[in-house]
Amino acid sequence: MQGKNIYKPLLFKLNKVETESPLIKTFFMTPEIPFDFKTGQFVEVTVDGVGEAPYTPSSSAWVKDKMEITIMKAGYVTQKMHELKGGKVLGIRGPFGRGYPLEKFHGKDVIILGGGVGIAPLRCLLLTMLQEEDKFKKIHICFGAKTPSDFIYKDWFKDLAAHKRVELLRTVDKADGDWKETEGVVTVLLDKLQVDFKEAVAVVCGPPIMMKFGTLRLLELGVQEENVYLSMEKNMSCGLGKCGHCAMGDYFVCKDGPVFTYNEIKNHPNIWM
Amino acid sequence: MKSYSVSEKQWAEILHKALSHYGIFAPVSKESTVDYEEITEKKIDQIFYDSIKPTTPLKAFFFPIKENVVAAKKQTPRLILGVPACDLAAIDLLDKIFLDKDFLDIYYQENRENTIVFGKDCYSFNKSCHCTAYGLNPYPEKNCDVGMSHSDGKFFLTPFSEKGEAFLKEAGIASSAREKLPSNVEAKRQSTTDGLKKQNKDIPDGKATRIGIEKENEELWKKYAAACVSCGACAAICPTCHCFLLIDKKNFEKIKNWDTCQYPAFERVAAGEDPLKKLYNRLKNRYLCKFVHKPDMFGEIACTGCGRCIDACIGKINKNEIIIEACK
Ligand code: SF4
Ligand code: SF4
Ligand code: FES
Repeated sequence: MQGKNIYKPLLFKLNKVETESPLIKTFFMTPEIPFDFKTGQFVEVTVDGVGEAPYTPSSSAWVKDKMEITIMKAGYVTQKMHELKGGKVLGIRGPFGRGYPLEKFHGKDVIILGGGVGIAPLRCLLLTMLQEEDKFKKIHICFGAKTPSDFIYKDWFKDLAAHKRVELLRTVDKADGDWKETEGVVTVLLDKLQVDFKEAVAVVCGPPIMMKFGTLRLLELGVQEENVYLSMEKNMSCGLGKCGHCAMGDYFVCKDGPVFTYNEIKNHPNIWM
Repeated sequence: MKSYSVSEKQWAEILHKALSHYGIFAPVSKESTVDYEEITEKKIDQIFYDSIKPTTPLKAFFFPIKENVVAAKKQTPRLILGVPACDLAAIDLLDKIFLDKDFLDIYYQENRENTIVFGKDCYSFNKSCHCTAYGLNPYPEKNCDVGMSHSDGKFFLTPFSEKGEAFLKEAGIASSAREKLPSNVEAKRQSTTDGLKKQNKDIPDGKATRIGIEKENEELWKKYAAACVSCGACAAICPTCHCFLLIDKKNFEKIKNWDTCQYPAFERVAAGEDPLKKLYNRLKNRYLCKFVHKPDMFGEIACTGCGRCIDACIGKINKNEIIIEACK
């Protein structure tokens, strides 16, 4: 048997696990060999003997010798992941799929719309972009969560807002006493932006309902269909364009996506579920 | 096309010798079914060369039901005899998927490389056979190493690949004179083809099927889905269905296990959404995949007309009845 085995994971040492919210934890890992990926690509994470699931890293794509992944407890594999402690070894296959074509964002207003645990992959995108901040006209971040305590990466937002090219807007569905920012669905943040929408690019990542209404609002505001980037969540097993689980019309989302422009997928069935 | 002729007796001797190097698999007849069996010395005489299609599709040799794709193992060399043209045609799609240069599946590759495939002429067929509906002929024309025609106590062996030619040479055949396929073989091929065309005259071709399947037609799918129990037999037995699930074992080993969109939750995501939640959507999905999406992705339909899904369905759902009705 010769050549690289596409099914065999690389080994990543789990250094520590941090709790972001009752259902969400971040896993800090060190790969056995430096690991190269583009922001927007995903990896398959194996818990030994338990199962495998796809995630987009939440750390910068510039960093090759460390990786962070933020995971919400949602099923059997993620439940087992949440039980893990530092010192364990995880398997990683990938990177898979197409990432964001950052060259196309250069010189433009970039709107980043995210909600819930969808903020995790967007953290990777933002950290990667901010490394070369001056290449973008301005980065408008519109994040939403159910309640203020549901925001992940609470300590990160101050850093983020301090960047000169960043505009950070946040909203919650339900505010509590201390909340001074917006209350309401995440699309209300879009209405606050002072941007030439026709020239802007937008990235949307979050729960299906938010992706749908966020995208529709962006289009209404004038963002071009080919400038709206969506990261699609599908059932996945192989990540290789073979097992069929992620099929969406004439795409294998794992290989042809997971990032698509709205233009590329608008005629496909079931894009919002 | 030129071939070498050998007597049945010579061929049996060749197989006896080959057993020391190769595992041999060939159709052996049971009362009502025919399937591949591993051939031992004793079974060489029981090989059924004029069988209808074996129950198991050829894909099972290259993409087994379960295969550990992390723990290394070497495939021992094999000969597979008696493969019908519909199964050979399916290799086009499987190769595109598993030998994709971006992500080469070295297990599939190894299984392919260590196998010598003998295609065969079909001179008999059953009610479900409909290769001709999609422009295929019921005899080997591609994707095998050697084509085999059986007539009047002789075999006519046509090499299709270097591997096939080399095998015949080693067996001492490829040095004898080559001949054209005899006219009685040509005649049998023609009459089988004619018979199939007659049997299948009402089945729309791939393009017409696409148009029919693309229609909404919810009522039609619901009607047929009423008899479907999501057992997945249609997909398991299909020579082109390639879906699988990776199942984890200790030490980061993974088992590549056949899976199908006919099973509930095949597309369900962690958050619970499932585009194929309804059974009739799953049933329809298999047809959309074969006649709409695969042509868009790979330039070919993913049905070779083998008819196995019709034979296998315990709900007696007939693929061609659905298609004929959808195209009305
Ligand atoms: S469908 Fe055609 S090629 Fe396949 S077994 Fe039947 S007659 Fe032979
Ligand atoms: S769909 Fe049915 S007839 Fe077509 S190749 Fe598959 S099993 Fe054979
Ligand atoms: S996850 Fe297997 S084909 Fe996409």
